[in-house]
Amino acid sequence: MVARLETLTRPAPGLDFRKPSKQRQIGIGLGLVGLVLAVIAGIGNFAAAGDVADGTAGETLRWTFGLSVAGFGTVKLGIAVILVGILVRLWLRVAAVKETMPLVKAPGDGTAAQTGTYDSAWGKATATTTAPGPLPIHKMARTMWFPMLAMGFMALMIGLVLALVSSGETNPGSVASLFAWAQGTMFLGEAMLLGGIAFLLGSILAAIRDGGGEVQETVGVTVKTLKMPASAKAFVGLMMVGLMLGVAQFVLYIFVAANASANPGAWFAWLGPLREVSLGVLLASIVLALYTIGSTLGFQFDRMKQIIGTGK
Amino acid sequence: MTTKTRSTETLSTDFKIDISDHGLGRNKPQRVGRKLVLPMFAMALMGFAGGLIVAIIRAAELSDNGASDATEVLKHVGAGFMFIGFAAVFAAISFAIARILGEFRAGGGEVQDTIGTRTVNTLKMPASAKVFLGGMMMAMMLILIPVILHFVFAADITDTLASLEQSEERFIVLEGIRRIGVALYLVAIAFGLATIIKVLRFESIRIRELPNN
Repeated sequence: MVARLETLTRPAPGLDFRKPSKQRQIGIGLGLVGLVLAVIAGIGNFAAAGDVADGTAGETLRWTFGLSVAGFGTVKLGIAVILVGILVRLWLRVAAVKETMPLVKAPGDGTAAQTGTYDSAWGKATATTTAPGPLPIHKMARTMWFPMLAMGFMALMIGLVLALVSSGETNPGSVASLFAWAQGTMFLGEAMLLGGIAFLLGSILAAIRDGGGEVQETVGVTVKTLKMPASAKAFVGLMMVGLMLGVAQFVLYIFVAANASANPGAWFAWLGPLREVSLGVLLASIVLALYTIGSTLGFQFDRMKQIIGTGK
Repeated sequence: MTTKTRSTETLSTDFKIDISDHGLGRNKPQRVGRKLVLPMFAMALMGFAGGLIVAIIRAAELSDNGASDATEVLKHVGAGFMFIGFAAVFAAISFAIARILGEFRAGGGEVQDTIGTRTVNTLKMPASAKVFLGGMMMAMMLILIPVILHFVFAADITDTLASLEQSEERFIVLEGIRRIGVALYLVAIAFGLATIIKVLRFESIRIRELPNN
């Protein structure tokens, strides 16, 4: 599974590093399709506002909900495709540095740099003679990003169908039940899509770490690697909380759909914000992942300058 | 030392670059991004917490058959808080992307400086980065204007059928605008990430040119 996924995130043999990225174009295309869907849903909402007095706004609002969430999901899928493109380009950059570094680095004075843990400008780092292996969370990220995206998109499509069906339904009991299913399923899908994006960001962090190690080993210098920063630990924690909240809201929506004695209005009043919080927490975890990527890149550029300047 | 910068397309590729005698460092949006990413992150968490607390209070009112105007006020206020959270978290993501782009720009220039290349080549801001910035600003407006209006309309609700209907109409319209804002923000983020791909492509080409420069 991991090996097959690596064919997507590693450059294909013979890929020309000068050519523009296909993933970039596909990702932007998907993003624009998602935006169009959300705009159509927004216009639907404006039209529905005029139907509040006669009590028919609900029918429109159910399909606009489905369409807008499907639109968000499509943009997120586009973002995931772009992240795959970033992974491919990171490995092409590693190949470029491996090729060039021996030609531009200082000859060195014959002594090796000290090994062990030290404080860098970007946080605690380790110096070793060989490249450290991937962290367990990196292995998990490389395995999980694709299943999460696939399951998320499927849940989103199932939820969209349920929202459209509930829009045409007239029996109040069936409407409440169907729309509860639609909301829970669609936001579970959204949470999974964001989880897939978070795992892709974890894979990018893994690629920066592994690539940096490979380059330093190839050049024959001490391998310096940034230790997992606090922002990365918080990223993993927030991502897990966000995913758990996404599953919890799904279970609670099913409970409301199945329980005739439940007061749907009261339940929906806090389940709606709960599902939004689940996505908010996942987005917050993505902020921390991007922040960590920025720090690891800063560390990597400092290390490149060090090797070029001192040769060790 | 003064930096002489001129535009050229002298590379074998079609990149638009700045050529200077030393690294150009981070540009203004990247410096802003570095400073604001964590404050925006903190604001997002506060917005989400506020939105969820208001929603729980509203759910309690509804289950106790509380006053209609009170639940309607809480609906607007809750959405206002929740979307302060979303506006802040999307801003934080955008700033974090700008910070990454800043590391590439500053780090790439410093590496060329360290090697002692005759010229330091820096990628000019690509069109995708401009779309990223413009889209982000428009999306921010499309989320923040409804947020302000949610609080304004909440203050305008009275316990009459006409007022409650008007409040519901306003909520539906604002929801539509917010949704467009969220989708636009996500698309802007996609363009920001697409810029990273372009920067990586430029770097792969430039790194291979360094030994001969």
